[in-house]
Amino acid sequence: MTVEIKRRSPLTFSETPLKTEVRDYWTVVQEYEAENDGPWVIDLSHRSRWDLQDSDLANVQPAGALIPDAPGHCAFDNGVLINRMNRTQASIWHLAGAPPELPADAACTETTDATLFLALIGRNIFAIAEKLTALDFKDPAKTVPFLYQGPFSHVPCQIVTLERTTGSGGILLTCSRGYGRDMGHAILAAGDEFGLRPAGENTFLRWIEALSA
Amino acid sequence: MALTLTCPVCGKRNGYEFRYGGEEKGPRPDEADLTPQAWCEYVHMNKCVAGIQKEWWCHKDGCGVWFTTHRNTTCNLEVDTPEAQS
Amino acid sequence: MKRLENLPTLRIHPEKTLRFEYRKKKLKGLSGDTLASALYANGIRIFSRSLKYHRPRGLYSLDGESSNTCMQVNGIPNVCTETTLLADGMQLEPQNISGSPEWDMKGFMDNLDWAMPAGFYYRSMHKPARIWPIALKQVRKAAGLGKISPDFQMPGRYDEIYPTADVCVIGGGPAGMSAALAAAEQGLRVILLEIRPWLGGFFDYRTADNGNGTSLAQSARQMAQQVEQNASVRVFTHTTVVGVYNNNLVTAFQKGRDGDSFEERYLEIRATSVVVASGCIERPLLFDNNERPGVMQIGCAQRLAHTYGLLPGKQAVFSIGHDLGLEAAVDLSDLGLAVACVADIREDGQDPVLLAALKERDIPFLRGWVATRAQGSKTLNKVTLATKTGTLTKEFACDLLVASAGMTPLTGPLSLAQAKLAYEPYTGFFIPKQLPDKVQVAGRMLGLNSPASIEASGQLAGVIAAADCGKSVEGRLQEARAQLNQLPGPDQGCKLVTAPVQGRKTFICFDEDTTIKNVKQALEMGFDATELIKRFTAAGTGPGQAGIPGHNLPLFVAQYHGDTQATAMPTTMRAPLVGTFIATYAGSNHDMCKRTPVHESQKNAGGIIRRIGVWERARYFSEDLSCREEIENVRQNVGLLDASTLGKFRLWGPDALKALQRVYVSDMSKIADGKVRYSAMCNDDGCIIDDGVVVKKAENDYYFTTSTARAGATVEWLRYHTRYDGWRFHMVNLTDAFGVINMAGPNARKVLGKVTDADVSDAAFPYAGYREFMIQDTIPVRSMRLGFVGELSFELHVPSSYMQTLWDILLDAGKAFGIRHFGLEAQNVLRMEKAHLIIGSESEQRTTLHDVGLGFLWDRNKSDAKTVGAVALKQTENQEDRLKLVGFKMEDPSRTPKDGSLIVDSRIRGHVCIARHSFTLKEPVGLALVDAPLAAEGTRLQIYEDECNGQHLHATVVPTPFYDPEGKQLKM
Repeated sequence: MTVEIKRRSPLTFSETPLKTEVRDYWTVVQEYEAENDGPWVIDLSHRSRWDLQDSDLANVQPAGALIPDAPGHCAFDNGVLINRMNRTQASIWHLAGAPPELPADAACTETTDATLFLALIGRNIFAIAEKLTALDFKDPAKTVPFLYQGPFSHVPCQIVTLERTTGSGGILLTCSRGYGRDMGHAILAAGDEFGLRPAGENTFLRWIEALSA
Repeated sequence: MALTLTCPVCGKRNGYEFRYGGEEKGPRPDEADLTPQAWCEYVHMNKCVAGIQKEWWCHKDGCGVWFTTHRNTTCNLEVDTPEAQS
Repeated sequence: MKRLENLPTLRIHPEKTLRFEYRKKKLKGLSGDTLASALYANGIRIFSRSLKYHRPRGLYSLDGESSNTCMQVNGIPNVCTETTLLADGMQLEPQNISGSPEWDMKGFMDNLDWAMPAGFYYRSMHKPARIWPIALKQVRKAAGLGKISPDFQMPGRYDEIYPTADVCVIGGGPAGMSAALAAAEQGLRVILLEIRPWLGGFFDYRTADNGNGTSLAQSARQMAQQVEQNASVRVFTHTTVVGVYNNNLVTAFQKGRDGDSFEERYLEIRATSVVVASGCIERPLLFDNNERPGVMQIGCAQRLAHTYGLLPGKQAVFSIGHDLGLEAAVDLSDLGLAVACVADIREDGQDPVLLAALKERDIPFLRGWVATRAQGSKTLNKVTLATKTGTLTKEFACDLLVASAGMTPLTGPLSLAQAKLAYEPYTGFFIPKQLPDKVQVAGRMLGLNSPASIEASGQLAGVIAAADCGKSVEGRLQEARAQLNQLPGPDQGCKLVTAPVQGRKTFICFDEDTTIKNVKQALEMGFDATELIKRFTAAGTGPGQAGIPGHNLPLFVAQYHGDTQATAMPTTMRAPLVGTFIATYAGSNHDMCKRTPVHESQKNAGGIIRRIGVWERARYFSEDLSCREEIENVRQNVGLLDASTLGKFRLWGPDALKALQRVYVSDMSKIADGKVRYSAMCNDDGCIIDDGVVVKKAENDYYFTTSTARAGATVEWLRYHTRYDGWRFHMVNLTDAFGVINMAGPNARKVLGKVTDADVSDAAFPYAGYREFMIQDTIPVRSMRLGFVGELSFELHVPSSYMQTLWDILLDAGKAFGIRHFGLEAQNVLRMEKAHLIIGSESEQRTTLHDVGLGFLWDRNKSDAKTVGAVALKQTENQEDRLKLVGFKMEDPSRTPKDGSLIVDSRIRGHVCIARHSFTLKEPVGLALVDAPLAAEGTRLQIYEDECNGQHLHATVVPTPFYDPEGKQLKM
């Protein structure tokens, strides 16, 4: 018997996948049964992420994009999200489109396998978030996209708010991979009253496309 | 937690997100000619001000930075704006 | 009981009947009823019996000011029926009764009050001492309200939210609503908290004119609509504030209603500014039998009628000290209540319009009179009224006495916010004299009574709160001030504290059955301060906290001392202001813990999982907790251990080496390429806090591991100890990025050789080596040859997403070589046989690097690095009287001492860190920290095990490691 080589996400939803795709050894769920009309939680753990650190970030241009100047600011361009974390550090998340080409220099560390990566999109997601964190997603002083580094369901996370219009919103979050299962459960439990359901990657890609348009 | 602290990177946050790092005492003394007494003073002795003191905090659940800030120990409120160091 | 119909103020829905049970009897209520109003509608007058005296207690207030109406609801004790909405199918039981509320077998206690003077718990039953254990049992039986079984499971769902606001307004009456609207007008995010299920406060149930042709109720509803439609204002009704902390953190809980997903939810609100507009409650009137069922407060009587459609009685007497009482008398008389008499404590100051209205209705009015005694053995049937001096008396037959001394502000939230309160003689209120930063106050609690003034003060507070939030509102502020200034100011308050009575049956605190007489007893015994009297008499320590006794107690004490109440101070309030379910505080309570990538697969393989720190880990792989098979398989074949929880870090940058030198005790400049370097970290006391290995991957680029427990704090530790240096180095925590497999045993190389093309021979990959290679040409691994369990072993660090695959590949490839899982307990025994230590097992907070025999790791020649712990290591190097880690064997090989047992002679000389039966050595062995003089080989140790009944075990100090001292096995 040979063991099939697979890469696995820290989180699996109990819902039945309708459409899946194998990509770089990951089995990516593109669509679940009965996704309904949101809000949705989407596992993006298979999408590549990097940590970038340099004493002088102003001189670094990962994937040809500029790193935002101020901590907490984010730049979203060409399907790549760059989040400025502090004076010397940024995180890079590949959300859609062609994978970015990153400088193979020492400043970059791949962190894809270090974290759980979730998207929460649709109606009432901030009402769900409010049950899990005191972080203020509605702070009028912030403009989207912006990064929070802080606790979400008691676990330190990086959370990027991509959209927060009246009817809809979208946040992305990463936390230590080990918390994957509990974080998924905590979010689904908090979102239960709002009809939160898992969705496949396609739903996210449609949403992000509409956002960029 | 009622206490909030102002992280120089993330801004004002709930005190639960931080770890206390002790009173500000200056850098580690040189080891040459260091008496046990002087070392002990540096490591263990604190002023325990009843009032405003300068102290270290780490934003452990956030960006992870160590910074100093001033806190009024009698009412457990941060005062002034902290000075960023890291 | 027939309900009043067609009142515009009603909050019940007569078309929707709800069924419930009270004492197993099927009753009906209406949607919108509280439990209390539904019981009242069904003719229930006695709701409970009191704590000490088993006196009958009834409906006195409607906002939960006392425990009178607390009941067991659906099995939950002490539910406040006044503030809980009726739901279909509820089951209610009265509390603290032996028999029924009407016929309580402990009713005789009421005549034994002479035996229970103030502080009798403290003063009796301890002399002679031997009676205390007997008395204790009886006291325990009598103490407390409500019963709960220890295995009671709270039904329902409890939740929590953590909202942020610019302005948080406490109180949804006219002042609070005005404040909320005024702040929202400035573009701020406002949260409005209201304890009742609807907004409106004192206006909600009153039909009096607000001065512009609409009723107060009507205008309150209009304002409520404005508030609810304002997108900037978030309204939480049926929400009780329980805490106000500095920095304007407000905590509250909200009761769910039909359609909500929660029974109750906890709110923790961070606001920039807080407006307290909590309004007033009535100050209870103190007279004999002042808590007899049938006696109730003005608001209670009026709200029963207007909110719930229940005429509170047939024949009523009013004894009041506020115009609201006159208004209620006129109003209830118009609704059909016969009012025998209205006695007003005040000599003058009444609203002439209300006096004329009383006259019009032929209601007798007594000026300067007050109720002195309620009569009726169970419920009220007669009232004695008297002049304030008690010289003249009159009696009236009645079934309802509406009694209230006047208004008093609800200062709980202010008090918690640490506002300084002071007695203000004109209003008779405790008024804030000094407010904390960014806390404002508004409304009736300032003594205002005119509806327009109350609203204007709310607006002003809202504008000031906006200024607190940094809005420039100068013009608006002046306008709001001017508006308030031209309206009527505070009303004069009623000063009367007690009716002219002796006070033996005059209750100042209903919850604790504290009478005026008890308070006098305490005063006579020398307890002169209100706070002390509170503790000695228990007044104000019940579930209602300061509802009923709140402001009467300090006023009574001041009056007793003969001062003019100028020094009276209310007792300190503490959170929670209102009794709150622990379930509500617990909320949804997600227990967040970490799992490794092979968690499920280990569980399926029979792994017994234990929570260890933040992780869940496999401790055993069979029901045999000695793990014999797991251990022997590692020694003979090969085993797989999931070590993914190890801390793993990348550290790089021009000053990376300096950072390593600062925290590791060894000289880290000497790490050879392709080798691992084992070292330890100490704290500034030289005590060992961590150990692990460091690999130099490239110039100024390192990869290192820490123990599981230190993984979370390592980045912080390095940054802390370099915080003054300004060094340029970077760290990434890769703990979760890599899974770690420790494959150990004589067959380990054979298994690994099957799955990789890399040369893993001893020559190519020797002990203490580090290599990177591919498994099945696809999976990249970082591998180290270590020997924690004392056998040939390969530690494989693999990207977490591949971990399960690699795990399965190794299990598959290892089948022929007898591979099987082993867990933490097996590892614990295996490493003990090698005397390899685990920090926290063989060390504790005071254990130095020298104590555990690892002093050789310390490099004394790098003082420039200012290594953390180096100074202390130097100072303690030759210190006497330290503990030393030693190995021992048992004299009686049939007995293994428990971990943590003490090493003793005439005193404690150390302790057993770990002891296990060694299957390899076929006898028990262990490691112990002992006083240095006992550390010599051959020393006999006495071991004191707990519950050993003085029978010590004996052991002998032996050299370590116990197993394979030459280390041949791990260097295979």
